[in-house]
Amino acid sequence: MTTTAVPESIDDSPAPVTADEERRRHQRREAWRRRLPLLPALLFTIVVTQVPFLFSLWYSLTEWTIVPPSDREFIGFGNYTDLATNEFFRSALWTSVLMTVVSVLLSVVLGTALAVLLDRKFFGQGFVRTLLITPFLVMPVVAGLVWNNQILGSAFGVLNWLLETLGFGSVEFVSRFPLWSIVTVLVWQWTPFMMLIMLAGLQSQPDSVLEAARVDGASTSGIFFQITLPHLRPYLELGVLLGSIYLIQVFDHIDVMTGGGPDSTNVPYFVFQRSIGGGWRFGQASAYSIVVVVFSIIIATFGLRVLSGLLEGEDAA
Amino acid sequence: MTESNPIRSFLLGLLTWFIGLLFFFPVFWMVLNGFKEEADANTDPKLFFDPTLDRYRDIASGDQGLLSFGEAFTNSAWAVIVSTILVLILAVPAAYALSIRPVAKWRDVLFFFISTKFLPIVAAILPLWIIARELDILNTRLVLIVLYTAMNLPLAVWMLRSFFQEVPRELIEAAQLDGASLRGQITSVILPIAAPGLAATALLCVIFAWNEFFLAVQLNPVDGSTVPIWVTSNVSTRGNFLARLSAASTVATLPVLIAGWVAQKRMIRGLAMGAIK
Amino acid sequence: MAQVRYDEATRIYPGTDIAAVDRLDLDIADGEFLVVVGPSGSGKSTALRMLAGLEFIDNGSIHIGERDVTLVPPKERDIAMVFQNYALYPQMSVAANMGFALKQQGIPKEERQRRVAEAARILDLEPYLERKPKNLSGGQRQRVAMGRAIVREPQVFLMDEPLSNLDAKLRVQTRTQLADLQADLGVTTVYVTHDQVEAMTLGDRVAVLESGKLQQCASPREMYSRPANRFVAGFIGSPAMNLLEVDGGDGSGVALGSMTVPLDGEVGRSVGAHPSVTLGVRPEHLALVPSDGDRTLPGRVSVVEDLGSEAFVHIDVEHRGETTQIVVRGEGESDVRRDDNVAIGLGGPIHLFGPGGERLN
Repeated sequence: MTTTAVPESIDDSPAPVTADEERRRHQRREAWRRRLPLLPALLFTIVVTQVPFLFSLWYSLTEWTIVPPSDREFIGFGNYTDLATNEFFRSALWTSVLMTVVSVLLSVVLGTALAVLLDRKFFGQGFVRTLLITPFLVMPVVAGLVWNNQILGSAFGVLNWLLETLGFGSVEFVSRFPLWSIVTVLVWQWTPFMMLIMLAGLQSQPDSVLEAARVDGASTSGIFFQITLPHLRPYLELGVLLGSIYLIQVFDHIDVMTGGGPDSTNVPYFVFQRSIGGGWRFGQASAYSIVVVVFSIIIATFGLRVLSGLLEGEDAA
Repeated sequence: MTESNPIRSFLLGLLTWFIGLLFFFPVFWMVLNGFKEEADANTDPKLFFDPTLDRYRDIASGDQGLLSFGEAFTNSAWAVIVSTILVLILAVPAAYALSIRPVAKWRDVLFFFISTKFLPIVAAILPLWIIARELDILNTRLVLIVLYTAMNLPLAVWMLRSFFQEVPRELIEAAQLDGASLRGQITSVILPIAAPGLAATALLCVIFAWNEFFLAVQLNPVDGSTVPIWVTSNVSTRGNFLARLSAASTVATLPVLIAGWVAQKRMIRGLAMGAIK
Repeated sequence: MAQVRYDEATRIYPGTDIAAVDRLDLDIADGEFLVVVGPSGSGKSTALRMLAGLEFIDNGSIHIGERDVTLVPPKERDIAMVFQNYALYPQMSVAANMGFALKQQGIPKEERQRRVAEAARILDLEPYLERKPKNLSGGQRQRVAMGRAIVREPQVFLMDEPLSNLDAKLRVQTRTQLADLQADLGVTTVYVTHDQVEAMTLGDRVAVLESGKLQQCASPREMYSRPANRFVAGFIGSPAMNLLEVDGGDGSGVALGSMTVPLDGEVGRSVGAHPSVTLGVRPEHLALVPSDGDRTLPGRVSVVEDLGSEAFVHIDVEHRGETTQIVVRGEGESDVRRDDNVAIGLGGPIHLFGPGGERLN
């Protein structure tokens, strides 16, 4: 590159040094003027979300029980080596992965299908959309309780009544298949959310492109797979991203449906059980949560790459 | 899309209706059960029965458990409304600084905000519990207000930035030339244009805060408990509770349900638009 | 009212090494209408935004009147700007739009109303004062944008392609009104456009920008008859000047195909110093004539654009062993047809540019 940096060329211009200094000062002031509106939100977020995390990091290196009260004792990576061999933790980790991945994938696929169905003109379109969005708005605790008692429940559940009426035996869904019962409720709640994102994507598709494709003789399925789906890609990514953020942290459904158990305790619930939920072993629980953070960071790195794709081309200020 | 085949079109419409009703059924069933006697609810599913408002009277009187609905509702309302207002007060200027007159590393800052959503709350709950205990704010509304603000702030910044991004740049420049201050630009130019987005953002914050259970149950199990905790308190180990629980669930869900129905289109626009362009 | 001075003003966008506006020197007199014209990406809008205070000035300075405004924020520069898409506040009425700046300055209500009413009268906007921008036609919006600038009674008007969103007919009409208005008000005006017709008709002077550098700043007539360099020659004028590479030779003349164009002594010497130069001839300075040896150039007609009052004839000619096209302006309703064999004769001044694009004659 042959372009000379500007500051140098200023130096040998006859302009007095003070003007140059003034320009720099002006730029610094301007930078701060831009930063100022950001600072309250940034500081608040750092204090409330990052500081506790640092505490967790410190706790995780200690042996510390609250009930019965014990002194905090530094034990280095002891909790982490325990953890590597802890069968329950590994099972919780596996449950977490399974629960998140299956729920996200199923709701994205179902949500996309429903969005395509809804994106056609038919009688009562708006009303059906309202019906479909409803599960997302239901309080998670309520969703868990309603499904647990009134749909899947073996005593008075509608599904079991239906099975019996049709001549099949009733099934103790929640106790026999705890993980899949919870996943069902999660999919029920998150499919509408995915559907709405995909609907936004479908509606943002310019008609002219579809018309051009039809004029070119593409079939309906050809149009969907070759034009619509690529167009939906960023929306799919956004859906997966937001879904993962929330579904990896599922707690409420587990708490009200199974109260934990070998197949339904995910990592958040596990940490809860080992600490505030009755274990009171804060040192060890902190180590678990740090591991969750590490896993989350792995997912986040992937997720943030998706985000940076979304933000591409927005650089011009 | 225009469908060439009317029969196919009709069948697909019918299918969509069927799936819509299927998805809605649990909510319908919950509302229905809330109007039953316990005897009618705790048996084989009944579609026809003598409706009663007694369950709603039961939950209003709050004879079971320590937490009354009024108390829980007041606590929830405080936590939800105050935290949402705080979120907007913090997020509006931040979104301005990330979109309209962006700071040098706006991208990194936005990533930071979003990345905090990846940090599982569970990783912070123990220190939060201990800090809250030290500050003596366990079982108070304050602790939930602070945490709900932090919980919703990243999403609000993200959404508002998208909406602000849609405000034509020239309008803000015109306001700058016309002599408007930062506050003037925001209140008289940006917010009137981004008002639908602001409403959608506020609504999503309200929904997430109203439905929040984890933090509430960890930090405020005794006092300052919120509606979700009150709902679970209607689960009884003695006797039948299904009808009563249904009534409670209906009451707890209704405010968000209505708000969401009214604003469904805008909400999603807020999440999807601007972020993807 | 004031003069405006750009002094080596430079803008380098963060993250790039190339100056969007490169050491721009411009002196704009009090009350002058200066049009800045250039292709897209030439830095013309950036130059205007630097004057407005919307772009940082990385180097050099800008003065309005006697005041150095290089580091002064936009609102303290006492300027008004008309944007390409008008930038009207959608939720405010026409009157509120026009009065917004005055309100920010804390001017009392009666005074504000008086000035808004006065501007509305000048611009024929009186019936629309209570309407919202979305209920106005394109032309009315454009006038509101003008009105918003006028009520401020600023020292300088800045206009960023204010007519480009109007349809062709309205654009011509508004152009005339704008010229009138500016002459009446006598406010110094800097006007950016990519449309050279606007530049030539509106400007007291025209400044041509390309790649962030000022190419020439002169009156429209001088710009047309004596373009300072090859870029200006090709950019100003429609259809564009014919520009052809020719051999410098010994300086006695240059060969255009089989035609010889003789050169004067002094011009000939500067041409003779280069192996290759650019010869420029405007279409109206060429004519279809009877063939006359090496004083005319034979060619074959490829396209005839007949506009009624005149016709532009595109002719394929042999030059330096290749087929190139030359545009000749002819009479309207001409009977020249495609594939006719014709001869071109020179009937006016020629322009010569050196290898660096600089003017030689």
